[in-house]
Amino acid sequence: MRVVVDLDLCGGHGVCEGAAPEIFRVVDEADGYAHVEVILERPPEELREKAEAAERQCPNRVIRIVED
Amino acid sequence: MGRTAVSTSDLDAVDFFRAGSLYQNPYPYYEYLRGHGPVWREPHHGVVMVTGYEEAVGVYHDTETFSNCVAVAGPFARWPEPLEGDDISPIIERHRDALPFSDQLPTFDPPKHTMHRGLLGRLITPKRLKENEEFMWTLADRHIDEFLDRGECEFIKDYASPFTLLVIADLLGVPEEQHEQFRKELQGDHRPAETRDKDGTVAHKPLEFLYDRFTRFIEDRRQNPRQDVMTGLATATFPDGSLPEVHDIMLIASNLFAAGQETTARLLGVMFQLIGERPELQELLRRERERIPNFVEECLRLETPLQSTFRLTRVPTKIGDLSVPAGTTVMLLPAAANRDPRKFEDPDEFRLGRSNWRQHLAFGSGVHSCAGAPLARAEARVSAERLLDRMGDIRVSEREHGPAGARRYEYPQTYMLRGLERLHLEFTPRR
Repeated sequence: MRVVVDLDLCGGHGVCEGAAPEIFRVVDEADGYAHVEVILERPPEELREKAEAAERQCPNRVIRIVED
Repeated sequence: MGRTAVSTSDLDAVDFFRAGSLYQNPYPYYEYLRGHGPVWREPHHGVVMVTGYEEAVGVYHDTETFSNCVAVAGPFARWPEPLEGDDISPIIERHRDALPFSDQLPTFDPPKHTMHRGLLGRLITPKRLKENEEFMWTLADRHIDEFLDRGECEFIKDYASPFTLLVIADLLGVPEEQHEQFRKELQGDHRPAETRDKDGTVAHKPLEFLYDRFTRFIEDRRQNPRQDVMTGLATATFPDGSLPEVHDIMLIASNLFAAGQETTARLLGVMFQLIGERPELQELLRRERERIPNFVEECLRLETPLQSTFRLTRVPTKIGDLSVPAGTTVMLLPAAANRDPRKFEDPDEFRLGRSNWRQHLAFGSGVHSCAGAPLARAEARVSAERLLDRMGDIRVSEREHGPAGARRYEYPQTYMLRGLERLHLEFTPRR
């Protein structure tokens, strides 16, 4: 599976980081705005549940888990 | 910020929903709840109180089991039939429109929530906010100009309230010539966003003024589109491509407008209360401006402006270790969960540099997470920067609030909202 994020829509809420810290982290840009950074673009199968939880819980629906 | 010694038997007698002056310092009561477990059914109304962090996240993230219909009304919701059965969803659907704030996004459930939330998801992103940021700096300066030379101010009235109101008014495209009227209509008195009658019921529609004005703005934007958030809202479509009713958009705009003020003003209040109380922290933030985002989040964690929210179980379920039937009112206490020692070490301590400093629940979690969070954070950052630039040696006024260690602060008489009613500051004007 592959993690795709739409950075234009990301509001830096960090729900993804909480749900799947192995895959997502929130970082501050120099201009003071926070956004998601994908640590693991192709997570292992064991992390599927966490990845899909992050996708479901993202308040702006920024995350898509796609199958390669 | 600390605790006072209150006996357990005193707190057994407390009905948290009618607790009067206890709201001036609710933290001992949260610790009393936590002493009964991260999830506990309080005895006065049978409301299940969630003070545990993990348990709260579990509820926030399960919109199938937990309905938001009672998010505002909580235990004061009135139901014409008993909430009994294995799945009370049909009962909820029959009666939810009669509940307070039923026309507002925070009380919607999926799929309706998903559709309506999607309308504004694109509108308060960092990309969008960067376009409006210039105005925020200008607005900050304008307000500071008015009181700077006095060397003192009442921070809530002189800065926090008008600033937060005018930022959101500008973002939503309210014409500048109407700003003063909006300010008067919405900040005439310092009551919380929901108004309360004597028997505790919540007024159904306290936002008539906003409803009327925003309806006109939206109709206008559909005829004459501009480059503002209101136009974005007015012309946004549902996932199926259909155009929402003006009424639906108006409700979202009004909700954004109302939700974004009181809460953000309270956040600014606690930030400057801490800056005024702690000279070393103030010095650090002046020297290291990049610590401001962390500072803002730690303020949100410790003095969460929106202290609580409610859910209703649709089906029998388990919250933590507690089994509950369908029709149970659940009180999520993010203010308490933000002090869960299992999640935050030394939870009552203000501390910069926590490894999990972003993980607090002040903006909720999951799909109902505060849509305005990026805006609130931008306002907090801009305000901190500009006020530190222009005001030196910021102190809490002893004349108004008493000496350090024996301060007198006033908080609203409600379990929903926390923040200073007044904050008198003194400072040395810089420029």
